[in-house]
Amino acid sequence: MNNVKLDNIDTSFESYQQLINLYSECKNIYFSDIEIEISKWFAANLSSPLGGVVDKLVNNLNDIKFKTEYSIERILKKNNFLSHFGYDKINDSNNTTIEYLKLKPSDSRYFHEYIINELINRKELPEMSNELNKKISESIFEIFTNAQIHSQSDFIYVCGQFFPAKHKIEFTITDMGIGFKNIINNRFKKGLSSTQAIDWAINDGNSTKKNVTGGIGLAILKEFIIENKGKFQIISDDGFYQLSNNHEEKKLFKNKFPGTIINMQFRTNDRNSYSSIDVINDLF
Amino acid sequence: MENIVINIFNIVGSSFCVEADDGEKVYTLLKKAVENNKKVTLSFQNVEMLTSAFLNTAIGQIYRDFDEELIKKLLSVDNMLPEDKVLLKRVTKTAKLFYKNPERMLQSINKILGEE
Repeated sequence: MNNVKLDNIDTSFESYQQLINLYSECKNIYFSDIEIEISKWFAANLSSPLGGVVDKLVNNLNDIKFKTEYSIERILKKNNFLSHFGYDKINDSNNTTIEYLKLKPSDSRYFHEYIINELINRKELPEMSNELNKKISESIFEIFTNAQIHSQSDFIYVCGQFFPAKHKIEFTITDMGIGFKNIINNRFKKGLSSTQAIDWAINDGNSTKKNVTGGIGLAILKEFIIENKGKFQIISDDGFYQLSNNHEEKKLFKNKFPGTIINMQFRTNDRNSYSSIDVINDLF
Repeated sequence: MENIVINIFNIVGSSFCVEADDGEKVYTLLKKAVENNKKVTLSFQNVEMLTSAFLNTAIGQIYRDFDEELIKKLLSVDNMLPEDKVLLKRVTKTAKLFYKNPERMLQSINKILGEE
């Protein structure tokens, strides 16, 4: 039995490093039992990258077991994560989970339904304006669509959580594809580092598409996060990017995440008006 | 027919117009109309959600195939929310820049790498 530990996992750089370590330690293990021990805390929305990593290990025909404290196990059962690995789902009596979902990139209609049910029409969500709710949903769609178009991943893993008392929603989208760095370097035959690649991709209008214009989605998300005073993180390959409190931070991990994680934190008590009063006549 | 109306909600089959592939369906029709020099109104009636990815393929790529003046003369939109118009304006502005200078992408990468 191989045992790996995840301790106090939140959305810090160190926590993502632990997820990367888990993958690095286990990626060459085949036909074995792997026990993942989770202690102290596990941010429910990070079920998204954990699901991606665990699937990589499952693809090596390993048998995965989880050893967790009762409170963590309950959260991961409530958000449907553990039901993918032989556990029963339990009802979320607090109604604060946004369910873990593993989708094929082509499963978009299913994703639409999920966003409608889990976010747009969700009665338990913290109170917020319709325009803000729409902006949050649009941001999530932009990122999901990016993963569909660019990632070359077999699956996209999504999960969220909301925190009524803290007035925030966290939502994470993970793909196990080739990552920003490889997408951009393959397209332009260049040698950008992972953080340079992320930097380039979030700049307005930068796109790897050949004949179709693009490259606005991440720039729009960045602008919205600044206005909303939320948080936005990209983990791709060995690169880490974070935008929080109008401050950008870039770092390198030891070892690589085998794909891309986009984590978004939105503030729901945002009183900005997101309805435009500008009249635009020269659209074309 | 004086003016052709393309009903986006019907072409996509959903009020969520968020995917690039759905945008392609719209563009196939839009291109056909402009090729035949027809005036076209894109109706966004009953459209609830839009992304830049959808608008890039539905409309943005028209600047690759046709002259800006012709596009201005033939295209209009209807029933579009002001905030969605802000997004569309951004898409068309980006598209014009993109097709005017296809080398811009490579140039911006060279700039990051200090290879200018």
